[in-house]
Amino acid sequence: MMRLGNTRLAFIETLTEIVEQGLRAVLVCADSVLVVKGKAFAEKHPERFFDVGIAEQNAVACAAGMAACGLVPFVATYAGFITMRACEQVRTFVAYPGLNVKLVGANGGISAGEREGVTHQFFEDLGIMRTIPGITVVVPADDSQVRHATRAIYKTPGPAYMRIGSGRDPVVDCDDVPFELGKVRVLRDDGRDIALFANGFVINRALQAAEVLRQEGIRPVVVDVHTLKPLDGQAIVRILRETRAAVTVEDHNIIGGLGSAIAELSVEECPVAIAKVGLRDTYPRSGEPDALLDYYHVGVTDIVKAAKMVMQRRDQGLRA
Amino acid sequence: MDDTIRKLEEIARLIRIDVVTMIYKAGDGHPGAALSVTDLIAALYFHVMNIDPADPNKKDRDRFILSKGHGCPALYAALARKGYFPHADLVRLRSLECHLQGHPDMNKTPGVDFTSGSLGNGVAVGLGMVLAGRITGYDYFTDVVTCDGEIQEGIVWEAAMSAKKYKAGRLIVFVDNNGIQSGGPVDHVSGLNPILPKWEAFGWHCQEIDGHDFGQILSAVENAKANAEQPSLILAHTIKGQGVPFMIGDNSWHKRVPTVEEFRDAMRVLGGPCS
Repeated sequence: MMRLGNTRLAFIETLTEIVEQGLRAVLVCADSVLVVKGKAFAEKHPERFFDVGIAEQNAVACAAGMAACGLVPFVATYAGFITMRACEQVRTFVAYPGLNVKLVGANGGISAGEREGVTHQFFEDLGIMRTIPGITVVVPADDSQVRHATRAIYKTPGPAYMRIGSGRDPVVDCDDVPFELGKVRVLRDDGRDIALFANGFVINRALQAAEVLRQEGIRPVVVDVHTLKPLDGQAIVRILRETRAAVTVEDHNIIGGLGSAIAELSVEECPVAIAKVGLRDTYPRSGEPDALLDYYHVGVTDIVKAAKMVMQRRDQGLRA
Repeated sequence: MDDTIRKLEEIARLIRIDVVTMIYKAGDGHPGAALSVTDLIAALYFHVMNIDPADPNKKDRDRFILSKGHGCPALYAALARKGYFPHADLVRLRSLECHLQGHPDMNKTPGVDFTSGSLGNGVAVGLGMVLAGRITGYDYFTDVVTCDGEIQEGIVWEAAMSAKKYKAGRLIVFVDNNGIQSGGPVDHVSGLNPILPKWEAFGWHCQEIDGHDFGQILSAVENAKANAEQPSLILAHTIKGQGVPFMIGDNSWHKRVPTVEEFRDAMRVLGGPCS
Protein backbone atom coordinates (compact mmCIF):
# COMPACT_ATOMS: atom_id res chain seq x y z
CA MET A 1 0.00 0.00 0.00
CA MET A 2 1.38 3.38 -1.02
CA ARG A 3 1.86 5.85 1.81
CA LEU A 4 0.34 9.29 1.43
CA GLY A 5 1.80 12.59 2.58
CA ASN A 6 0.43 16.11 2.57
CA THR A 7 2.29 18.55 0.33
CA ARG A 8 -0.04 21.41 1.27
CA LEU A 9 0.74 20.97 4.94
CA ALA A 10 4.43 20.55 4.19
CA PHE A 11 4.39 23.90 2.42
CA ILE A 12 2.57 25.81 5.12
CA GLU A 13 4.62 24.30 7.96
CA THR A 14 7.81 25.30 6.19
CA LEU A 15 6.50 28.81 5.53
CA THR A 16 5.61 29.05 9.23
CA GLU A 17 9.21 28.15 10.14
CA ILE A 18 10.51 30.80 7.75
CA VAL A 19 8.23 33.46 9.24
CA GLU A 20 9.15 32.44 12.78
CA GLN A 21 12.80 32.92 11.93
CA GLY A 22 11.90 36.59 11.66
CA LEU A 23 12.19 36.81 7.91
CA ARG A 24 10.02 38.95 5.70
CA ALA A 25 7.80 36.24 4.22
CA VAL A 26 4.03 36.68 4.09
CA LEU A 27 1.19 34.47 2.90
CA VAL A 28 -1.26 35.87 0.34
CA CYS A 29 -4.43 33.87 -0.25
CA ALA A 30 -7.43 34.26 -2.50
CA ASP A 31 -9.94 32.67 -0.13
CA SER A 32 -7.59 29.71 -0.32
CA VAL A 33 -6.48 29.62 3.31
CA LEU A 34 -8.19 26.30 3.95
CA VAL A 35 -6.93 24.90 0.65
CA VAL A 36 -3.34 25.46 1.73
CA LYS A 37 -3.97 24.44 5.36
CA GLY A 38 -3.16 27.99 6.41
CA LYS A 39 -5.66 28.46 9.25
CA ALA A 40 -3.17 27.90 12.04
CA PHE A 41 -0.66 30.13 10.28
CA ALA A 42 -3.25 32.90 9.92
CA GLU A 43 -4.22 32.66 13.59
CA LYS A 44 -0.66 32.58 14.83
CA HIS A 45 0.70 35.26 12.48
CA PRO A 46 -2.25 37.45 11.52
CA GLU A 47 0.05 40.32 10.51
CA ARG A 48 1.75 38.05 7.98
CA PHE A 49 -1.44 36.76 6.43
CA PHE A 50 -3.42 38.51 3.71
CA ASP A 51 -6.62 37.19 2.22
CA VAL A 52 -7.71 39.32 -0.72
CA GLY A 53 -10.86 37.34 -1.44
CA ILE A 54 -11.69 35.22 -4.47
CA ALA A 55 -9.57 37.41 -6.70
CA GLU A 56 -6.41 35.78 -7.97
CA GLN A 57 -5.33 38.59 -10.28
CA ASN A 58 -5.58 40.91 -7.31
CA ALA A 59 -3.62 38.45 -5.15
CA VAL A 60 -0.72 38.27 -7.60
CA ALA A 61 -0.63 42.01 -8.37
CA CYS A 62 -0.91 42.84 -4.67
CA ALA A 63 1.97 40.46 -3.94
CA ALA A 64 4.00 42.18 -6.65
CA GLY A 65 3.48 45.49 -4.86
CA MET A 66 4.55 43.90 -1.56
CA ALA A 67 7.68 42.47 -3.15
CA ALA A 68 8.52 45.86 -4.67
CA CYS A 69 8.53 47.18 -1.09
CA GLY A 70 10.73 44.53 0.46
CA LEU A 71 8.49 41.60 1.44
CA VAL A 72 8.70 38.03 0.17
CA PRO A 73 5.07 37.12 -0.50
CA PHE A 74 3.98 33.53 -1.08
CA VAL A 75 0.76 33.50 -3.12
CA ALA A 76 -0.93 30.16 -2.56
CA THR A 77 -4.07 28.88 -4.18
CA TYR A 78 -5.10 26.43 -6.88
CA ALA A 79 -2.48 26.03 -9.59
CA GLY A 80 -4.72 26.95 -12.49
CA PHE A 81 -6.07 30.08 -10.88
CA ILE A 82 -2.53 31.39 -10.49
CA THR A 83 -1.16 30.25 -13.82
CA MET A 84 -4.22 30.87 -15.98
CA ARG A 85 -6.56 33.40 -14.40
CA ALA A 86 -3.69 35.53 -13.12
CA CYS A 87 -1.27 34.62 -15.89
CA GLU A 88 -0.76 38.15 -17.13
CA GLN A 89 -0.13 39.48 -13.63
CA VAL A 90 2.46 36.73 -13.17
CA ARG A 91 4.13 37.51 -16.47
CA THR A 92 4.06 41.29 -16.60
CA PHE A 93 4.14 42.33 -12.95
CA VAL A 94 6.07 39.53 -11.25
CA ALA A 95 8.34 37.90 -13.80
CA TYR A 96 9.12 40.89 -16.03
CA PRO A 97 10.22 43.11 -13.13
CA GLY A 98 11.92 40.07 -11.55
CA LEU A 99 10.11 40.55 -8.25
CA ASN A 100 10.57 38.25 -5.32
CA VAL A 101 7.12 36.66 -5.41
CA LYS A 102 6.68 32.95 -4.78
CA LEU A 103 3.69 31.29 -6.41
CA VAL A 104 2.43 28.04 -4.93
CA GLY A 105 -0.09 26.10 -6.99
CA ALA A 106 -2.23 23.37 -5.44
CA ASN A 107 -3.86 20.51 -7.33
CA GLY A 108 -1.04 20.32 -9.84
CA GLY A 109 -1.76 17.55 -12.31
CA ILE A 110 -4.82 15.41 -13.03
CA SER A 111 -4.22 13.06 -10.10
CA ALA A 112 -4.31 15.87 -7.54
CA GLY A 113 -7.66 17.19 -8.73
CA GLU A 114 -9.58 15.80 -5.73
CA ARG A 115 -12.12 14.22 -8.09
CA GLU A 116 -13.44 17.71 -8.80
CA GLY A 117 -13.16 17.40 -12.55
CA VAL A 118 -11.42 19.54 -15.14
CA THR A 119 -12.06 22.89 -13.41
CA HIS A 120 -9.79 21.76 -10.55
CA GLN A 121 -7.31 19.61 -12.46
CA PHE A 122 -4.36 21.61 -13.68
CA PHE A 123 -2.18 20.00 -16.30
CA GLU A 124 -1.04 23.09 -18.23
CA ASP A 125 0.46 25.07 -15.33
CA LEU A 126 4.05 24.03 -15.91
CA GLY A 127 3.93 24.66 -19.63
CA ILE A 128 2.49 28.13 -19.07
CA MET A 129 5.01 29.05 -16.39
CA ARG A 130 7.91 27.60 -18.35
CA THR A 131 7.33 29.87 -21.36
CA ILE A 132 7.55 33.00 -19.20
CA PRO A 133 11.13 34.28 -18.93
CA GLY A 134 12.64 34.53 -15.48
CA ILE A 135 10.54 32.19 -13.35
CA THR A 136 12.02 29.26 -11.47
CA VAL A 137 9.63 26.32 -11.88
CA VAL A 138 9.73 23.54 -9.29
CA VAL A 139 7.79 20.27 -9.13
CA PRO A 140 8.69 18.55 -5.86
CA ALA A 141 8.34 14.78 -5.60
CA ASP A 142 6.43 14.58 -2.32
CA ASP A 143 5.72 16.28 0.99
CA SER A 144 9.23 15.99 2.26
CA GLN A 145 10.66 17.40 -0.94
CA VAL A 146 8.18 20.29 -0.74
CA ARG A 147 9.87 21.31 2.51
CA HIS A 148 13.24 21.48 0.79
CA ALA A 149 11.79 23.23 -2.24
CA THR A 150 9.95 25.85 -0.16
CA ARG A 151 13.14 26.77 1.68
CA ALA A 152 15.10 26.78 -1.57
CA ILE A 153 12.76 29.12 -3.43
CA TYR A 154 12.64 31.40 -0.40
CA LYS A 155 16.43 31.61 -0.36
CA THR A 156 16.72 32.17 -4.11
CA PRO A 157 15.83 35.77 -5.00
CA GLY A 158 13.34 36.24 -7.81
CA PRO A 159 10.05 34.81 -9.04
CA ALA A 160 9.29 31.13 -8.51
CA TYR A 161 6.41 28.77 -9.11
CA MET A 162 6.08 25.61 -7.05
CA ARG A 163 3.53 22.88 -7.55
CA ILE A 164 1.83 21.19 -4.63
CA GLY A 165 -0.94 18.63 -4.65
CA SER A 166 -4.25 17.68 -3.13
CA GLY A 167 -2.99 16.94 0.36
CA ARG A 168 -3.17 13.19 -0.29
CA ASP A 169 0.05 12.86 -2.19
CA PRO A 170 2.14 9.72 -2.70
CA VAL A 171 5.27 9.53 -0.58
CA VAL A 172 8.28 8.71 -2.73
CA ASP A 173 10.63 8.07 0.12
CA CYS A 174 13.67 9.48 -1.60
CA ASP A 175 15.16 11.82 0.99
CA ASP A 176 18.50 10.04 0.94
CA VAL A 177 19.17 11.87 -2.34
CA PRO A 178 19.75 15.53 -1.49
CA PHE A 179 17.60 18.32 -2.97
CA GLU A 180 19.36 21.18 -4.67
CA LEU A 181 17.39 23.71 -6.68
CA GLY A 182 18.29 23.45 -10.35
CA LYS A 183 19.98 20.02 -10.04
CA VAL A 184 18.45 16.69 -11.00
CA ARG A 185 18.33 13.84 -8.49
CA VAL A 186 19.20 10.30 -9.60
CA LEU A 187 16.78 8.16 -7.61
CA ARG A 188 17.68 4.75 -9.01
CA ASP A 189 20.66 3.80 -11.08
CA ASP A 190 20.78 0.31 -12.54
CA GLY A 191 22.66 1.27 -15.67
CA ARG A 192 22.33 3.16 -18.89
CA ASP A 193 19.97 1.06 -21.02
CA ILE A 194 17.21 3.64 -20.71
CA ALA A 195 16.64 6.90 -18.85
CA LEU A 196 13.34 7.57 -17.12
CA PHE A 197 12.95 11.30 -16.41
CA ALA A 198 10.06 12.03 -14.06
CA ASN A 199 8.83 14.61 -11.57
CA GLY A 200 6.03 15.23 -9.14
CA PHE A 201 3.44 12.78 -8.00
CA VAL A 202 4.13 10.15 -10.67
CA ILE A 203 7.70 9.44 -9.63
CA ASN A 204 6.62 6.26 -7.86
CA ARG A 205 5.21 5.03 -11.14
CA ALA A 206 8.53 5.62 -12.85
CA LEU A 207 10.30 3.78 -10.02
CA GLN A 208 7.88 0.85 -10.28
CA ALA A 209 8.37 0.73 -14.05
CA ALA A 210 12.12 0.70 -13.47
CA GLU A 211 11.72 -2.33 -11.23
CA VAL A 212 9.70 -4.14 -13.91
CA LEU A 213 12.31 -3.29 -16.54
CA ARG A 214 15.13 -4.46 -14.26
CA GLN A 215 13.40 -7.78 -13.75
CA GLU A 216 13.30 -8.15 -17.51
CA GLY A 217 17.02 -7.52 -17.75
CA ILE A 218 16.88 -3.87 -18.76
CA ARG A 219 18.99 -1.46 -16.70
CA PRO A 220 17.25 1.88 -16.21
CA VAL A 221 18.31 5.13 -14.57
CA VAL A 222 15.49 7.09 -12.90
CA VAL A 223 16.00 10.84 -12.69
CA ASP A 224 13.88 13.31 -10.69
CA VAL A 225 13.78 16.56 -12.67
CA HIS A 226 12.18 18.58 -9.88
CA THR A 227 13.43 21.91 -11.24
CA LEU A 228 11.86 22.27 -14.64
CA LYS A 229 13.38 25.69 -15.05
CA PRO A 230 16.24 26.38 -15.03
CA LEU A 231 16.73 22.88 -16.36
CA ASP A 232 19.84 20.99 -15.29
CA GLY A 233 20.91 20.70 -18.92
CA GLN A 234 24.42 19.52 -18.24
CA ALA A 235 23.40 16.51 -16.15
CA ILE A 236 20.51 15.60 -18.42
CA VAL A 237 22.60 15.72 -21.59
CA ARG A 238 25.26 13.59 -19.93
CA ILE A 239 22.64 10.93 -19.22
CA LEU A 240 21.12 11.21 -22.70
CA ARG A 241 24.56 10.68 -24.24
CA GLU A 242 24.89 7.46 -22.29
CA THR A 243 21.41 6.03 -22.77
CA ARG A 244 20.56 7.43 -26.25
CA ALA A 245 16.94 6.76 -25.28
CA ALA A 246 14.62 8.32 -22.72
CA VAL A 247 11.06 8.24 -21.42
CA THR A 248 9.57 11.27 -19.70
CA VAL A 249 6.87 10.68 -17.07
CA GLU A 250 4.74 13.55 -15.82
CA ASP A 251 1.32 14.41 -14.46
CA HIS A 252 0.85 17.16 -17.05
CA ASN A 253 -0.10 17.56 -20.65
CA ILE A 254 2.63 16.07 -22.83
CA ILE A 255 2.82 19.52 -24.42
CA GLY A 256 4.81 22.11 -22.48
CA GLY A 257 5.96 20.24 -19.40
CA LEU A 258 8.80 17.85 -18.59
CA GLY A 259 8.52 15.91 -21.85
CA SER A 260 8.77 19.08 -23.88
CA ALA A 261 11.64 20.41 -21.78
CA ILE A 262 13.71 17.24 -22.22
CA ALA A 263 12.82 16.95 -25.91
CA GLU A 264 13.77 20.58 -26.57
CA LEU A 265 17.09 20.10 -24.83
CA SER A 266 17.71 16.85 -26.68
CA VAL A 267 16.94 18.34 -30.09
CA GLU A 268 19.45 21.10 -29.53
CA GLU A 269 22.22 19.27 -27.75
CA CYS A 270 21.90 15.52 -28.04
CA PRO A 271 19.21 14.14 -30.35
CA VAL A 272 18.03 10.75 -29.05
CA ALA A 273 14.86 8.68 -29.14
CA ILE A 274 12.32 10.01 -26.61
CA ALA A 275 8.82 8.93 -25.64
CA LYS A 276 6.55 11.11 -23.55
CA VAL A 277 4.22 9.60 -20.96
CA GLY A 278 1.62 12.05 -19.68
CA LEU A 279 -1.83 13.37 -20.43
CA ARG A 280 -2.11 13.17 -24.20
CA ASP A 281 -3.48 16.63 -24.97
CA THR A 282 -7.01 15.91 -23.86
CA TYR A 283 -9.35 16.88 -21.01
CA PRO A 284 -9.49 14.41 -18.16
CA ARG A 285 -12.51 13.60 -15.97
CA SER A 286 -13.28 13.04 -12.31
CA GLY A 287 -11.90 9.94 -10.71
CA GLU A 288 -9.65 8.36 -8.11
CA PRO A 289 -6.08 9.61 -8.52
CA ASP A 290 -4.48 6.28 -9.35
CA ALA A 291 -7.34 5.11 -11.52
CA LEU A 292 -7.20 8.40 -13.43
CA LEU A 293 -3.51 8.12 -14.16
CA ASP A 294 -3.98 4.56 -15.39
CA TYR A 295 -6.99 5.55 -17.48
CA TYR A 296 -5.06 8.35 -19.18
CA HIS A 297 -2.07 6.11 -19.92
CA VAL A 298 0.28 7.28 -17.22
CA GLY A 299 0.39 3.76 -15.77
CA VAL A 300 3.38 1.62 -14.90
CA THR A 301 2.67 -0.59 -17.92
CA ASP A 302 2.52 2.49 -20.15
CA ILE A 303 5.96 3.56 -18.94
CA VAL A 304 7.39 0.07 -19.43
CA LYS A 305 5.88 -0.12 -22.92
CA ALA A 306 7.23 3.33 -23.82
CA ALA A 307 10.68 2.35 -22.56
CA LYS A 308 10.80 -0.76 -24.71
CA MET A 309 9.47 1.08 -27.74
CA VAL A 310 11.97 3.88 -27.42
CA MET A 311 14.86 1.45 -26.92
CA GLN A 312 13.76 -0.36 -30.05
CA ARG A 313 13.68 2.90 -32.00
CA ARG A 314 17.15 3.71 -30.72
CA ASP A 315 18.50 0.29 -31.67
CA GLN A 316 16.90 0.42 -35.12
CA GLY A 317 18.36 3.88 -35.58
CA LEU A 318 21.80 2.62 -34.60
CA ARG A 319 21.55 -0.20 -37.16
CA ALA A 320 20.28 2.03 -39.95
CA MET B 1 -0.64 78.93 -1.64
CA ASP B 2 -1.01 81.16 -4.69
CA ASP B 3 2.74 80.94 -5.21
CA THR B 4 2.61 77.16 -5.01
CA ILE B 5 -0.17 77.04 -7.55
CA ARG B 6 1.63 79.43 -9.88
CA LYS B 7 4.77 77.31 -9.56
CA LEU B 8 2.84 74.11 -10.35
CA GLU B 9 1.11 75.71 -13.33
CA GLU B 10 4.47 76.66 -14.75
CA ILE B 11 5.87 73.16 -14.18
CA ALA B 12 2.81 71.66 -15.86
CA ARG B 13 3.34 73.95 -18.85
CA LEU B 14 6.93 72.76 -19.15
CA ILE B 15 5.86 69.12 -18.83
CA ARG B 16 3.29 69.65 -21.62
CA ILE B 17 6.03 71.10 -23.83
CA ASP B 18 8.16 68.04 -23.07
CA VAL B 19 5.26 65.66 -23.78
CA VAL B 20 4.49 67.07 -27.21
CA THR B 21 8.17 67.48 -28.08
CA MET B 22 9.14 63.95 -27.10
CA ILE B 23 6.26 62.35 -28.99
CA TYR B 24 6.99 64.53 -32.01
CA LYS B 25 10.70 63.74 -32.00
CA ALA B 26 10.35 60.08 -31.04
CA GLY B 27 7.63 59.65 -33.66
CA ASP B 28 5.41 57.61 -31.32
CA GLY B 29 3.29 57.85 -28.19
CA HIS B 30 -0.08 58.76 -26.65
CA PRO B 31 -0.29 62.57 -26.37
CA GLY B 32 -3.97 62.90 -25.40
CA ALA B 33 -3.74 60.77 -22.29
CA ALA B 34 -0.40 62.25 -21.21
CA LEU B 35 -1.80 65.80 -21.42
CA SER B 36 -4.94 64.97 -19.43
CA VAL B 37 -2.88 63.56 -16.57
CA THR B 38 -0.10 66.18 -16.59
CA ASP B 39 -1.51 68.39 -13.83
CA LEU B 40 -2.04 65.47 -11.44
CA ILE B 41 1.51 64.30 -12.00
CA ALA B 42 2.91 67.82 -11.62
CA ALA B 43 1.09 68.27 -8.32
CA LEU B 44 2.23 64.91 -6.94
CA TYR B 45 5.88 65.12 -7.98
CA PHE B 46 6.44 68.81 -7.34
CA HIS B 47 4.43 69.34 -4.18
CA VAL B 48 2.80 66.29 -2.60
CA MET B 49 5.15 63.34 -2.56
CA ASN B 50 8.00 62.71 -0.13
CA ILE B 51 10.73 61.73 -2.60
CA ASP B 52 14.41 62.34 -3.16
CA PRO B 53 15.76 62.13 -6.71
CA ALA B 54 19.26 61.73 -5.28
CA ASP B 55 18.09 58.57 -3.52
CA PRO B 56 15.41 57.13 -5.81
CA ASN B 57 15.08 53.90 -3.79
CA LYS B 58 14.75 55.57 -0.40
CA LYS B 59 12.74 53.10 1.64
CA ASP B 60 10.34 55.55 3.27
CA ARG B 61 9.57 57.45 0.07
CA ASP B 62 6.03 57.88 -1.15
CA ARG B 63 5.27 55.56 -4.06
CA PHE B 64 3.68 56.50 -7.34
CA ILE B 65 2.13 54.16 -9.89
CA LEU B 66 1.02 55.47 -13.26
CA SER B 67 -1.42 52.62 -13.70
CA LYS B 68 -2.56 54.12 -17.00
CA GLY B 69 0.96 53.54 -18.25
CA HIS B 70 0.33 54.91 -21.74
CA GLY B 71 0.33 58.40 -20.23
CA CYS B 72 4.02 57.93 -19.40
CA PRO B 73 5.44 60.83 -21.45
CA ALA B 74 4.08 63.10 -18.71
CA LEU B 75 5.66 60.93 -16.00
CA TYR B 76 8.99 60.81 -17.82
CA ALA B 77 9.00 64.57 -18.24
CA ALA B 78 8.27 65.05 -14.52
CA LEU B 79 11.02 62.61 -13.52
CA ALA B 80 13.53 64.30 -15.82
CA ARG B 81 12.63 67.72 -14.48
CA LYS B 82 13.01 66.38 -10.91
CA GLY B 83 16.50 65.24 -11.86
CA TYR B 84 16.11 61.46 -11.90
CA PHE B 85 17.81 61.32 -15.31
CA PRO B 86 19.01 63.79 -17.96
CA HIS B 87 16.32 65.85 -19.64
CA ALA B 88 18.01 65.11 -22.97
CA ASP B 89 16.88 61.47 -22.65
CA LEU B 90 13.25 62.44 -23.23
CA VAL B 91 13.40 62.78 -26.99
CA ARG B 92 14.89 59.29 -27.27
CA LEU B 93 11.64 57.81 -25.90
CA ARG B 94 10.90 54.32 -27.27
CA SER B 95 14.25 54.01 -29.05
CA LEU B 96 16.30 50.85 -28.68
CA GLU B 97 19.17 52.44 -26.77
CA CYS B 98 17.03 54.49 -24.40
CA HIS B 99 15.80 53.49 -20.94
CA LEU B 100 12.45 55.20 -21.61
CA GLN B 101 10.22 52.31 -22.64
CA GLY B 102 6.91 52.62 -24.47
CA HIS B 103 5.32 51.99 -21.07
CA PRO B 104 6.96 52.53 -17.65
CA ASP B 105 9.58 50.00 -16.55
CA MET B 106 10.70 50.09 -12.90
CA ASN B 107 14.00 48.38 -13.70
CA LYS B 108 15.02 50.58 -16.58
CA THR B 109 13.99 54.10 -15.66
CA PRO B 110 15.20 55.72 -12.42
CA GLY B 111 12.31 57.02 -10.35
CA VAL B 112 9.67 54.67 -11.75
CA ASP B 113 8.29 52.84 -8.72
CA PHE B 114 6.39 50.20 -10.63
CA THR B 115 6.07 48.77 -14.10
CA SER B 116 2.77 49.47 -15.85
CA GLY B 117 1.07 49.56 -19.22
CA SER B 118 -1.24 46.60 -19.15
CA LEU B 119 -4.37 48.21 -17.75
CA GLY B 120 -6.05 47.62 -14.43
CA ASN B 121 -3.23 46.55 -12.16
CA GLY B 122 -2.09 49.66 -10.32
CA VAL B 123 -4.72 49.68 -7.59
CA ALA B 124 -3.88 46.10 -6.56
CA VAL B 125 -0.14 46.76 -6.73
CA GLY B 126 -0.56 49.99 -4.76
CA LEU B 127 -2.52 48.14 -2.10
CA GLY B 128 0.34 45.63 -1.83
CA MET B 129 2.77 48.51 -1.32
CA VAL B 130 0.64 50.00 1.44
CA LEU B 131 0.28 46.64 3.18
CA ALA B 132 4.04 46.05 2.93
CA GLY B 133 4.65 49.35 4.69
CA ARG B 134 2.78 48.03 7.72
CA ILE B 135 5.34 45.24 8.08
CA THR B 136 8.48 47.11 7.08
CA GLY B 137 7.49 49.99 9.35
CA TYR B 138 7.58 52.79 6.77
CA ASP B 139 4.48 54.95 6.73
CA TYR B 140 4.63 56.18 3.14
CA PHE B 141 1.61 56.95 0.97
CA THR B 142 1.04 55.21 -2.35
CA ASP B 143 -0.52 57.34 -5.07
CA VAL B 144 -2.03 55.58 -8.07
CA VAL B 145 -3.27 57.29 -11.21
CA THR B 146 -5.77 55.29 -13.20
CA CYS B 147 -8.41 56.44 -15.68
CA ASP B 148 -12.02 55.93 -16.66
CA GLY B 149 -11.05 53.51 -19.42
CA GLU B 150 -8.78 51.49 -17.18
CA ILE B 151 -11.26 50.96 -14.37
CA GLN B 152 -13.35 48.83 -16.69
CA GLU B 153 -10.89 46.05 -15.82
CA GLY B 154 -12.24 43.62 -13.20
CA ILE B 155 -9.06 43.50 -11.13
CA VAL B 156 -9.61 47.17 -10.20
CA TRP B 157 -12.76 46.21 -8.32
CA GLU B 158 -11.12 43.14 -6.81
CA ALA B 159 -8.51 45.47 -5.36
CA ALA B 160 -11.15 48.02 -4.35
CA MET B 161 -12.78 45.39 -2.13
CA SER B 162 -9.48 44.34 -0.57
CA ALA B 163 -8.40 47.92 0.09
CA LYS B 164 -11.63 48.53 1.96
CA LYS B 165 -11.18 45.36 4.01
CA TYR B 166 -7.63 46.39 4.94
CA LYS B 167 -8.63 50.00 5.69
CA ALA B 168 -5.83 51.13 3.40
CA GLY B 169 -5.90 54.79 4.32
CA ARG B 170 -2.47 55.32 2.80
CA LEU B 171 -3.69 54.38 -0.66
CA ILE B 172 -4.82 57.31 -2.79
CA VAL B 173 -6.23 56.55 -6.22
CA PHE B 174 -6.90 59.23 -8.83
CA VAL B 175 -9.22 58.49 -11.73
CA ASP B 176 -8.18 60.62 -14.70
CA ASN B 177 -11.71 61.06 -15.98
CA ASN B 178 -11.18 62.46 -19.47
CA GLY B 179 -14.25 60.65 -20.78
CA ILE B 180 -12.65 59.21 -23.89
CA GLN B 181 -10.86 55.92 -24.42
CA SER B 182 -9.20 54.22 -27.37
CA GLY B 183 -12.44 53.29 -29.09
CA GLY B 184 -14.30 56.53 -28.40
CA PRO B 185 -16.39 58.10 -25.62
CA VAL B 186 -16.55 55.97 -22.47
CA ASP B 187 -20.33 55.81 -22.68
CA HIS B 188 -20.14 54.29 -26.16
CA VAL B 189 -17.67 51.62 -25.14
CA SER B 190 -18.80 50.70 -21.64
CA GLY B 191 -21.57 50.97 -19.09
CA LEU B 192 -19.06 52.29 -16.56
CA ASN B 193 -20.71 55.60 -15.65
CA PRO B 194 -21.52 56.85 -13.07
CA ILE B 195 -18.09 56.33 -11.50
CA LEU B 196 -18.24 57.94 -8.07
CA PRO B 197 -21.22 55.99 -6.64
CA LYS B 198 -19.44 52.76 -7.48
CA TRP B 199 -16.38 53.64 -5.39
CA GLU B 200 -18.65 54.95 -2.62
CA ALA B 201 -20.48 51.64 -2.65
CA PHE B 202 -17.13 49.87 -2.39
CA GLY B 203 -16.47 51.75 0.84
CA TRP B 204 -13.89 54.26 -0.33
CA HIS B 205 -13.52 57.87 0.77
CA CYS B 206 -14.54 59.70 -2.41
CA GLN B 207 -13.95 63.19 -3.75
CA GLU B 208 -14.66 64.81 -7.08
CA ILE B 209 -12.46 67.57 -8.47
CA ASP B 210 -11.40 69.49 -11.55
CA GLY B 211 -8.20 67.64 -12.42
CA HIS B 212 -6.69 70.75 -13.97
CA ASP B 213 -7.22 72.94 -10.90
CA PHE B 214 -4.19 72.74 -8.62
CA GLY B 215 -6.04 74.22 -5.67
CA GLN B 216 -8.60 71.44 -5.87
CA ILE B 217 -5.97 68.74 -6.43
CA LEU B 218 -3.94 69.79 -3.39
CA SER B 219 -6.87 70.15 -1.04
CA ALA B 220 -8.28 66.78 -2.17
CA VAL B 221 -4.94 65.16 -1.33
CA GLU B 222 -5.00 66.80 2.10
CA ASN B 223 -8.51 65.46 2.72
CA ALA B 224 -7.47 62.01 1.53
CA LYS B 225 -4.46 61.93 3.84
CA ALA B 226 -6.60 63.02 6.78
CA ASN B 227 -8.79 59.95 6.36
CA ALA B 228 -6.71 57.18 7.88
CA GLU B 229 -9.36 54.47 7.93
CA GLN B 230 -10.41 54.37 4.29
CA PRO B 231 -8.66 54.18 0.94
CA SER B 232 -9.24 57.35 -1.05
CA LEU B 233 -10.62 57.86 -4.51
CA ILE B 234 -10.26 61.21 -6.21
CA LEU B 235 -12.33 61.47 -9.36
CA ALA B 236 -10.50 64.09 -11.39
CA HIS B 237 -12.44 65.53 -14.31
CA THR B 238 -9.91 66.17 -17.03
CA ILE B 239 -9.72 66.99 -20.71
CA LYS B 240 -7.92 64.70 -23.10
CA GLY B 241 -5.29 66.80 -24.87
CA GLN B 242 -5.51 69.59 -22.26
CA GLY B 243 -3.22 72.49 -23.13
CA VAL B 244 -3.14 71.88 -26.87
CA PRO B 245 -6.46 73.16 -28.25
CA PHE B 246 -6.42 71.29 -31.56
CA MET B 247 -6.04 67.96 -29.74
CA ILE B 248 -9.11 68.53 -27.58
CA GLY B 249 -12.23 66.75 -28.78
CA ASP B 250 -10.33 64.86 -31.49
CA ASN B 251 -9.68 61.32 -30.29
CA SER B 252 -7.22 60.58 -33.07
CA TRP B 253 -4.80 62.17 -30.57
CA HIS B 254 -5.23 59.13 -28.31
CA LYS B 255 -2.23 57.84 -30.22
CA ARG B 256 -0.90 60.11 -32.94
CA VAL B 257 2.29 61.96 -33.80
CA PRO B 258 2.10 65.70 -34.59
CA THR B 259 3.22 66.86 -38.04
CA VAL B 260 5.79 69.61 -38.16
CA GLU B 261 3.02 72.20 -38.54
CA GLU B 262 1.03 70.72 -35.66
CA PHE B 263 4.14 70.61 -33.50
CA ARG B 264 4.78 74.30 -34.19
CA ASP B 265 1.14 75.15 -33.42
CA ALA B 266 1.39 73.29 -30.13
CA MET B 267 4.64 75.01 -29.16
CA ARG B 268 3.15 78.40 -30.00
CA VAL B 269 0.25 77.77 -27.60
CA LEU B 270 2.45 76.26 -24.88
CA GLY B 271 5.26 78.77 -25.31
CA GLY B 272 7.84 76.13 -26.11
CA PRO B 273 10.78 76.01 -28.52
CA CYS B 274 9.99 74.85 -32.05
CA SER B 275 13.41 73.38 -32.74
